[in-house]
Amino acid sequence: MPRWLRYSIVVGIAALVVVLMLSFRRDPHDIRTGTVNKPAAAFTADRLDGTGTLSLSDYAGKVVVLNFFASWCPPCKEENPALVRVWERYRTSDVVFIGIVYEDATDKARTYVSTNGVTWPTVRDDDGRIAFAYGVFGPPETYFIGPDGVIAGRHIGPVDEATLVASIDKLRAQASR
Amino acid sequence: MTRERAVILVALLAIFGAVAWSAWPHETTAAERVDRITSELRCVTCQGLSVKDSPAASARQMRDLVVQRVAEGRTDDEIRGEFRASYGDWVLLSPPASSWTGLIWLVPVVALAAGLAVVVRRMRAIVPSAAAPSTRELAALRERVAREEALDLPQADGAE
Amino acid sequence: MSFSFADLGTGALRAALPLAIWGIGAAAYAAAKRDGRALASARWSALITFLLVVLAALAMIGALVTHDFSIAYVARNNALETPLFFTVVSLWAALEGSILLWTAILAGATAYVAWRGTPALPRLATTALAVLFAMLTFFLLLVTTPAADPFVRSDIVPLNGNGPNPLLQNHPLMALHPPLLYLGYVLFSVPFAYAIASLILGEGGDRWLVATRRFALVSWALLGVGIVAGSWWSYAVLGWGGYWAWDPVENAAIMPWLVATAYLHSVMVEEKRRLLRSWNLSLVIATFALTILGTFLTRSGVVNSVHAFTQSAIGPLLLGYLVAIVVLSVGLLLWRLPTLRDAGAVGTPLSREAIFLFQNVVFVAATLTVLLGTLYPLIAEALSGAQLSIGRPYFDRVEVPLALALLFLMGIGPQLPWHGASRVTLERQFTAPIVAAAGGALLAVATALGGAFAVLTYALAAFVVATVVQEFARGIRARRALHGESASTAFANLLRRSGRRYGGYIVHLGIVLVAVAVATSQSKTVEVERTVSAGDHFEAAGYTVAFGGLRSVREPQRDLLVADLAITGNGADENLRPALLFFPNATQAVGSPGIAAGLHDDVYTILVAYDTSARSWATIRVLVIPLVSWLWLGGGVVGLGAVIAALPQPKRREVMRPLTEAPATVGD
Repeated sequence: MPRWLRYSIVVGIAALVVVLMLSFRRDPHDIRTGTVNKPAAAFTADRLDGTGTLSLSDYAGKVVVLNFFASWCPPCKEENPALVRVWERYRTSDVVFIGIVYEDATDKARTYVSTNGVTWPTVRDDDGRIAFAYGVFGPPETYFIGPDGVIAGRHIGPVDEATLVASIDKLRAQASR
Repeated sequence: MTRERAVILVALLAIFGAVAWSAWPHETTAAERVDRITSELRCVTCQGLSVKDSPAASARQMRDLVVQRVAEGRTDDEIRGEFRASYGDWVLLSPPASSWTGLIWLVPVVALAAGLAVVVRRMRAIVPSAAAPSTRELAALRERVAREEALDLPQADGAE
Repeated sequence: MSFSFADLGTGALRAALPLAIWGIGAAAYAAAKRDGRALASARWSALITFLLVVLAALAMIGALVTHDFSIAYVARNNALETPLFFTVVSLWAALEGSILLWTAILAGATAYVAWRGTPALPRLATTALAVLFAMLTFFLLLVTTPAADPFVRSDIVPLNGNGPNPLLQNHPLMALHPPLLYLGYVLFSVPFAYAIASLILGEGGDRWLVATRRFALVSWALLGVGIVAGSWWSYAVLGWGGYWAWDPVENAAIMPWLVATAYLHSVMVEEKRRLLRSWNLSLVIATFALTILGTFLTRSGVVNSVHAFTQSAIGPLLLGYLVAIVVLSVGLLLWRLPTLRDAGAVGTPLSREAIFLFQNVVFVAATLTVLLGTLYPLIAEALSGAQLSIGRPYFDRVEVPLALALLFLMGIGPQLPWHGASRVTLERQFTAPIVAAAGGALLAVATALGGAFAVLTYALAAFVVATVVQEFARGIRARRALHGESASTAFANLLRRSGRRYGGYIVHLGIVLVAVAVATSQSKTVEVERTVSAGDHFEAAGYTVAFGGLRSVREPQRDLLVADLAITGNGADENLRPALLFFPNATQAVGSPGIAAGLHDDVYTILVAYDTSARSWATIRVLVIPLVSWLWLGGGVVGLGAVIAALPQPKRREVMRPLTEAPATVGD
């Protein structure tokens, strides 16, 4: 075996071990998408309650919290009380919540909304186009859109009250500046 | 030319012809394009399956979107670009050759080249010493091997 | 005090650990001082350790069968309503249980070597025994500490358990695939231990290799058959109509198999030509290291995979073990390198030994490609934070050409004599196979097989089959001439008396079946998807699929929504029931395909979606997949060939065989 090959094998093995060690610090479920800091994709969708359509552009200039959810998703139920509390706190201001149903039967989603006190507007996304445009991997996921129409942040998995409030307040402060 | 040589030549030509014929580029249909694109997109709710392979609902929806985009006349790159804009390079099941991540495509080539270089060097290094064993020596060697093969070597089997 | 399976299991494992540690010392002392009493002590330690670990495994099975939810593992992986069969196989359904099974197999291999391996080669085998005891100690440490203790008690004893992962209680192959893989993985410890022992003793010869040839062959075959069983399982359960996704864990299983295949061939070069000594040691070390790497990847949670067990403290320990193995064995190898000079050299590229070398290069390149492809997302993220995926398109594109190169070499290798051949001989040898290859290529074109790779696969498959037939014909002719046997007796005697060689050819035929199955099913699958109401029917590749409606079925551990399908046409008349399975503890339904398997093609049906409110319609996907059952058949043929090759050959008188080539034609 030539010397160069012997050395490169030893170096290669050492490098692999280092990579494997580093990989412990990695969370395989933390997948970043490319839509943060980009303009939020516009959409128009049917409202879940059947009262016409809703367009993101209707809320231009406001802080928008997009929440992808489904009735079959236990973490959604887990985060819902936080959403309800924060919604109650901001609903009279320039903050809008929009719930987007992710891969769910309409009747089940309606039941979920009515039994869990979801009073903010909710829309259907039957063909998944909105979820794809935002880069959603699975519910629950929450996107924070600033008054400038740019996605400022994203939260994967159940969101808590503190995160919601902090993200919203940051965007509101930006808006008033 | 011997008869055997002629037969081999004709057969090789037939193989070459068959392979060339099947490799000839033909007009791709919309369905083929959809298959090609979806086989390279990663299903976002599965573990590593492509959109084409996955039975998951989200994969079916992504496939529907690709079907629509193909029908609208978008190019493959545009369609892939749309998903890349949302999901990043993660959504492509093979890294694009354009960026540094495309280096992975070189792995098999480099590994083969390095291995062949070692083998060929070894063979060449040997030739002078082993160059011309006499016909008689070779015959003796051959006979030994044939004998051993017939016997399959007396074994000092320990663990068996 | 009442009896408890947990106490029994924990006790057995805790008793086994010191015995294994004692065994390391006793065996090492016995090897160093040639001390008979120490050897006897090591032997008994090995046997008792084995029995204790088996007792622990039985305790776990007992706990599972009696639904003893006071053990956390049972509570997580079993439920009162789990059927008995899946209750028993839950032993290997999750991390701790599978490590326990692993430990039991390793203890079995250790005991075998202790009792059967030592007489002929006392020093080598006794040193190998010490190495095996050391490895066993590591695994016993895993199962007696929180890292993978299978008998951890539940904090609160639940009234009912979670039940096994829905995907794992769905198909009987679950009973076969993991144990086969583990057997394959673990039995390779024996060749590795002998190789290390040979390096420690500085033997420099090939005794270790001859002694463990059969072990290597058997573990290779078990691994191979286990991989095929795994792809069959994934085909029958996962519901996407495929059998191989280049999932990280599939890759982890195929890598040691690839290197072991290279090894099985290059050992012949060492046996026949006394060449490649250090290379064979490297291959054994690499194979073994890759089995540990595979275990690490599956169980550490660093890669995403369908198979990945939940994350646990075991990851760093396995990585440490892997690093220790690699550093120690590579260090030993480099230290002993000067004693491993080859006796001679490979001369001409047209000799069998040269083909084996090329084949080794391709196998190693294929393995490296799988390895780096699997780890590349980790590497890229470590280097730049980039998140990317390496999946099927990449592996298909790079591995298929390498596989074709291997098919080609598989055809020519056995036809070339050791030490080299002349051109005239070559032409004579290869005329028929090349004509057959042309026939294969034309057959592929005639049956409208799409793609150059598929056509090449057919050509090379025909080439290999022709060479194998030619070899058998030659062998039979020789036996008939020498012994006056009938053709069938001659055939049987070839397999019995030269099983290693002719069994190897049978293995090659199995590989050809697999290659043809993959090429055909990948390029000619017909896919039809329809949304239908009860009473509707539609066509798919000549079959008529009639949808009879949806119905619910209640089973103790799950609910099913079944679509009744009747398949007719092409001579088929079958009722299929693709279903969605609803498990109480799973959020989403699990699809279960309905498959009508056939030699010519499989009709694979999936219930994709249905009308959730009125159940008036259902979306059915039908895949007509040609020749896919040849894949499982090929796996079986590979196993059969390996058995023939591994069976002990009868002691015999020396048989003179005519040389395949007249010495006069040499060197023209």
